[in-house]
Amino acid sequence: MKLEIGSFLSSRRTLMAGVGMLALAITGFADQAAAAAKCIKGDRKAPYTVGWANIYSVPTWMKQTEGTITAEVEELKKAGLVKDLKITDAQGNAQTQIQQIQSMIDANLDAIIIEAGSSTALNRVIADACAKGIAVVNFDSLVDTDELTAKINTDSNEWGKAAAEWMVKQLNGKGKIIIMNGPAGISVSDDRRKGAQPVLDANKGLQIITETNTEYNVAPAQEAMTNLLFANPEIDGVLSLGGALSAGSIMAFDRQGREQVPITGENARQFLELWKEKKIKGWATMQPNWLGALSVYTAVQALEGKNVPAFVKVPLPVIDDSNIDTFLARADKFPADGYIYSEYDKALFDKLLAQ
Amino acid sequence: MSALTSNLYIAVQGRRNRGLAGIYLLVFLLVALYIFLSPGILSVAGFSKFTQNWFPLALVTLAQALLMLNGGISLAIGPMVSLGAVIAATTMGGALGVPGGIVAAAIAGLALGALMGLVVAYLRLPAIIVTLASSFIIGGIALIVLPRPGGIIPPWFSDLLAGNVPTAFLLLVLVLVAWKIFLMTPTGLGIYAAGDNPVGAYRSGVSVDRVKLMAFALSGLLTALAGLFVAAQTGSGDPVIGTPFTLNSIAGAVLGGVGFLGGKGTMRGAICGSLILSLMINVMFFMGFPPVAQYVAQGLIIVGAVAIPNLVARWRRA
Repeated sequence: MKLEIGSFLSSRRTLMAGVGMLALAITGFADQAAAAAKCIKGDRKAPYTVGWANIYSVPTWMKQTEGTITAEVEELKKAGLVKDLKITDAQGNAQTQIQQIQSMIDANLDAIIIEAGSSTALNRVIADACAKGIAVVNFDSLVDTDELTAKINTDSNEWGKAAAEWMVKQLNGKGKIIIMNGPAGISVSDDRRKGAQPVLDANKGLQIITETNTEYNVAPAQEAMTNLLFANPEIDGVLSLGGALSAGSIMAFDRQGREQVPITGENARQFLELWKEKKIKGWATMQPNWLGALSVYTAVQALEGKNVPAFVKVPLPVIDDSNIDTFLARADKFPADGYIYSEYDKALFDKLLAQ
Repeated sequence: MSALTSNLYIAVQGRRNRGLAGIYLLVFLLVALYIFLSPGILSVAGFSKFTQNWFPLALVTLAQALLMLNGGISLAIGPMVSLGAVIAATTMGGALGVPGGIVAAAIAGLALGALMGLVVAYLRLPAIIVTLASSFIIGGIALIVLPRPGGIIPPWFSDLLAGNVPTAFLLLVLVLVAWKIFLMTPTGLGIYAAGDNPVGAYRSGVSVDRVKLMAFALSGLLTALAGLFVAAQTGSGDPVIGTPFTLNSIAGAVLGGVGFLGGKGTMRGAICGSLILSLMINVMFFMGFPPVAQYVAQGLIIVGAVAIPNLVARWRRA
């Protein structure tokens, strides 16, 4: 329970108003009140103004994600549900992101979509937005507060677990592996790594030579792997926990003339193409870019008075030799350093929200 | 004596202010534009929220300026902010409580700052190298203290520092008053003197090495406390939240007219520099700039703010 010194008096007034609302609810609005999603007060009317508070817009994954968001907004504009989209870029600075979300609150936007730069730093400003009746939806990089309308993501733990399980099977539970992680201190990279740990604990035959921590980019991953190749003549597998990392690793092996080993990864176009081209034993999953579009859709649904789940869990698909061609067939629609995401439509979104 | 010294004082202050006219004008324009676009800033809550978001940047810009004034620089500002934040977030919820957390963060900042100062001043190593190396060490310590975002700050403390009350602004005023008083002491004066003309300062009896050490220690203290504020503002700790502050502190100081070579610049300039950086974020949002245009506009404003006063000065001389 928060103790607010400054607004103590006003919170008492809200309490009184709350009692009044309760009386109303009992006299007839009970169903509607129970069905409304969190943060929604029902006082905002379409068409809505939507804000997207992005932590960093430069990586290709983010640009593609922004593409799905703007496309979704265009759809919703046609339906008369959205009138404007405001985008901010915190340039990697969580402190700036707090300031930008505060500006969105000051500008009285109806919905705020958040790609968080820190799992904890935004908690207070998000709670402020929620208290103002703004629909707050957070996707991909999640915050750990529950004071928002909905969180949307795949399961990062499961990501790591499934990748590790595939690696164990490939190597028959025995061999020397290198683990490639995203940046240290970032929840997504930490969670994927944590998910892999129980599998590794249960299979002591897998010996971890070392681990890398780099940005989710090809160049730093390639550099890190190149250094490791010099030092380690024997590597049986690469447990990569990010798509661009895998592409970097394959390129490092290739440059050194080393034989490719089984590797995990994501739907990065570069990785999938290298996998096919070099006939690598590979496994990949996907963090769909359309999580962005789904977030906008969810926020608007909530503002329209529909109930939405507090956590929308998007299933992780498996990409292997059996279906990689269906992804590569659409490759030319995506940037060379981008991610080949699966197709999506309103029916899929409705199904995910009906969980 | 008073007539002479006060004339000298006014003359010195006047000379210091002269280069800042462009900055003052830019601050004024941005503030006016901000108020026009979002009048809510004039309410107590609006003013409080804005100054809270600006406050940590203002503190680290002061910390950076403090070093640059005597010819130093710190590339460890960001990691030190992170460390201050994680120390606060891991101690305040425990037995030590809020006072213990404040003391712990302050001691860590002072001690690590002094340590860097010791190496720079007495081992005569370049500040840029020492602080770069320290940034890795301090960043590592922050990750050891709190490997992933978490920890807790008591909500009442968060609301006190970063609620709907202008505590942050009052703290900033307090820090500036303390700086003015500090400047009246021999050590305070020594900071300018040692940066402007180290040999001259030494001959006049300023212990240049001790002044340097002191500047690093104070800078470390301010930075760690900025971290503590960030923790309070966010209600928790994050081991990498400080990273962008390193560059932004330098940008703020340079924008505010603090020179890289020491002895040149003012704290009021540094404060204005950090205020511009912070104001720009909000003004660009309310102007409806798309993110790509924001990058360009930000660069243009910074270059313009530094270049125009220089050009005007040159044109006047010619």
